[in-house]
Amino acid sequence: MFESLQHLIAGFGIALTVNNLFYCLMGAVIGTLIGVLPGLGPIAGIALLIPATYNLNATSAIIMLAGIYYGAMYGGSTTSILLNVPGETASVITCIDGYQMAQKGRAGPALATCAIGSFIAGTIAILGLVFLAPPLAEAALAFGPPEYFSLMVFGFIVLCNVTGTSLIKSLMMAVVGLIIGTVGLDPVTGVARFTFDSMDLLGGVEFVAVAIGLFGIGEVLANVEKPLEFLEGKVLVPRLRELYPTLEDLKKSFKAILRGTAVGFGIGLVPGPAPVIATYSSYMIEKNLSKHPEEFGKGAIEGVAGPESANNSACQSAFIPLFVLGIPFAPPTAILLGAFLIHGVTPGPMLIGEHPELFWGVIASMYIGNFILLLLNLPFVPLFANILRIPKKVLLPLVILFCLTGMYTVNNSLVDIWMMLLFGGLGYLLRKLDYEGAPLLLALVLGPKLEVAFRQSLMISHGDFGIFINRPISMGLLVATLLFLLVPVFRIILKFTRKGGIARG
Amino acid sequence: MWKRVFVTLMVCSFIAVVPVQAADFPTKEVQIIIPWAAGGATDLIFRALAATTGKYLGKAVVVVNRPGGGGAVGYTEGMKAAPDGYTLTAAVTPMTILPHQVSTAFTYKNFDPILNVVSDPSMFLIRSDAPWKSLKEFLDYAKQNPDMITVGNSGAGGGVHLVALAFEKAAGVKFNHIPFSGGGPSVTALLGGHVNAVSVSPPEGIPQVQAGKLKIIALFAEKRLAMFADVPTVKEQGIPFAMGMWRGLVAPKGTPPDAITKLHNAFKQGMDDPVLKKNAADMAVNLDYLGSEAFGKLIAGDHEFYGKLVKDIKK
Repeated sequence: MFESLQHLIAGFGIALTVNNLFYCLMGAVIGTLIGVLPGLGPIAGIALLIPATYNLNATSAIIMLAGIYYGAMYGGSTTSILLNVPGETASVITCIDGYQMAQKGRAGPALATCAIGSFIAGTIAILGLVFLAPPLAEAALAFGPPEYFSLMVFGFIVLCNVTGTSLIKSLMMAVVGLIIGTVGLDPVTGVARFTFDSMDLLGGVEFVAVAIGLFGIGEVLANVEKPLEFLEGKVLVPRLRELYPTLEDLKKSFKAILRGTAVGFGIGLVPGPAPVIATYSSYMIEKNLSKHPEEFGKGAIEGVAGPESANNSACQSAFIPLFVLGIPFAPPTAILLGAFLIHGVTPGPMLIGEHPELFWGVIASMYIGNFILLLLNLPFVPLFANILRIPKKVLLPLVILFCLTGMYTVNNSLVDIWMMLLFGGLGYLLRKLDYEGAPLLLALVLGPKLEVAFRQSLMISHGDFGIFINRPISMGLLVATLLFLLVPVFRIILKFTRKGGIARG
Repeated sequence: MWKRVFVTLMVCSFIAVVPVQAADFPTKEVQIIIPWAAGGATDLIFRALAATTGKYLGKAVVVVNRPGGGGAVGYTEGMKAAPDGYTLTAAVTPMTILPHQVSTAFTYKNFDPILNVVSDPSMFLIRSDAPWKSLKEFLDYAKQNPDMITVGNSGAGGGVHLVALAFEKAAGVKFNHIPFSGGGPSVTALLGGHVNAVSVSPPEGIPQVQAGKLKIIALFAEKRLAMFADVPTVKEQGIPFAMGMWRGLVAPKGTPPDAITKLHNAFKQGMDDPVLKKNAADMAVNLDYLGSEAFGKLIAGDHEFYGKLVKDIKK
């Protein structure tokens, strides 16, 4: 532990040179911008900027590229809050309460809470990265296909009804998500499913197209039919005093931020759709622990603070498998792996020993980067909040334009744009009929992974279902899921016996 | 009247000639379509090559990722691009595999070869603490316990999966193949002990082998790897089998030959650049230059080979 501290101090010596500070700042600024633009996410951002780092030394290059990754996590919530457009998977949940806060004139506190939550989560998670990386990476390896399957089942059952409106309607949306998730090449046999011989559907339905369509475009369409006075008006605009969170807001968010950090850090270690599970879980936890769960969905600040912290700490812990095992668990870290290789550094079990200056320099730069991002994002709050001063009749077409260009940047594909518009229409209908988009998106992300893990497990066990029960982690997760399902039953029994007691008494 | 016809003819012939005449090629940047996501082995190699080739070509070389459909989306788009030498496609082994598996719009015949850049042998990795100390022990166990050794691959029907299938035929054994969504996840599963072996192609798994966590149990190369000179090939051990992945560049069919020659020469110089050589060595990929004609023959041969293999599997 002491040794780690010593190395870390040396790392700060590397990260604090004028050169590296500059690249850290560049990464943070670019990351924030990329995060703010819907569609264009950290993956595309890092890929685009790798060539710009060819002439840098490896440490500076990685400092800058890593900055883009965690910087994008800061900016990601901005369009969710202001426009109901989730920029990437991690910020879908923020739409629910963040957008409601903005509609009530509290965009400022929502944005500021995101920045503060992200900062706290980022900083704490780096501590975990410094002191716990090797054992945690080993622990993450314990998750094979069966464990992964059980985790997905758990996530699916527990998180599906995230908004808590109607369980039946949530389940229906989840099934639609599962069906959409089956489009594309069968992950196990490579057979094309539901593609109607279209090359563009072979890769499946793009998640971002569904997310932006359901939320962003759907919201715009729902607004357009409102009376003209509404469209000529603007969103409730806060006075300057109300731009930043009040003491009460901070008090409410603080615990949510800490819980979000812990949840995000743990889930970030698991391969796959960590940001989605982490943010949904954090939202569920906050809602269930809250003394006023009825506020959730109507602009509860904990519903923004928790998930935003969770996605930031998940982003930091995703570096652990990359640094320690040399294996990227998430697409953005896969691109970072590429950047390492191009600079002649192979991340993996030997990284810390062979390139200590790079490892500790990058870690130290993450502390500095998080601090820069906080300083960078807080002053942006009034600027972004003022976007809502634009009259709706001007703002709404701009949102559409924003969604269209943003969507195109993801895969440079026109089919994605049509898909987004199609889901925009669906989003509008669902809004009218009072269905939620969140369970559909969750199922779309988890469904294919669930299927793959299920089939891999059974292939390994030659068709024996015992593989899910014989392994302790998998078994534990399944038992937890069962208990969760039984909670309502217990409640009824409890109520019944209590009533019976009173009657007898 | 005749004058007008003459002028029209002149103009027409001029227009017809312009695309063929490529004396001043290139006049703008050249882009390479990568049919896979950024950060994969193919992407890394061509990004590095694009960086060193620009100065020899006189114009920048830009990489565009068009992932989807196991590569089918990118190849279809590369095939449809104007044959003017400004849009090239990264040609990798799956280009000759996909058309046998799904009804793709393209085959290799829709492209003109430019050059091959790298060739990497495939290999099987196992954990260092696995019970098998040699290829012989591994195969003996497989023979006694058919279908019991689990071998991970990076995707059903993908290159390394077919390599594994071809190898079990050559060695007369039967494995239990488990598909993962990429080389990374399959190596992770091996590290965690969830599968017994994985079929990979460098740079996948190389850092773990260097760190001693994994070891190469079967190397399907013609000659030993420079990085792991003590690992014998399977050929040396009596199984006549070698297979790997190649990665090169192709242009849409009908690209003017002198444009292809210019591109070939520039990319060849880019390959010889010391910066690229160092990058390739760091990534443990094996630079393997083949000219346009030889590369074309390699592609055509593999197309035949995989066609037969895929048919065999379907039986």
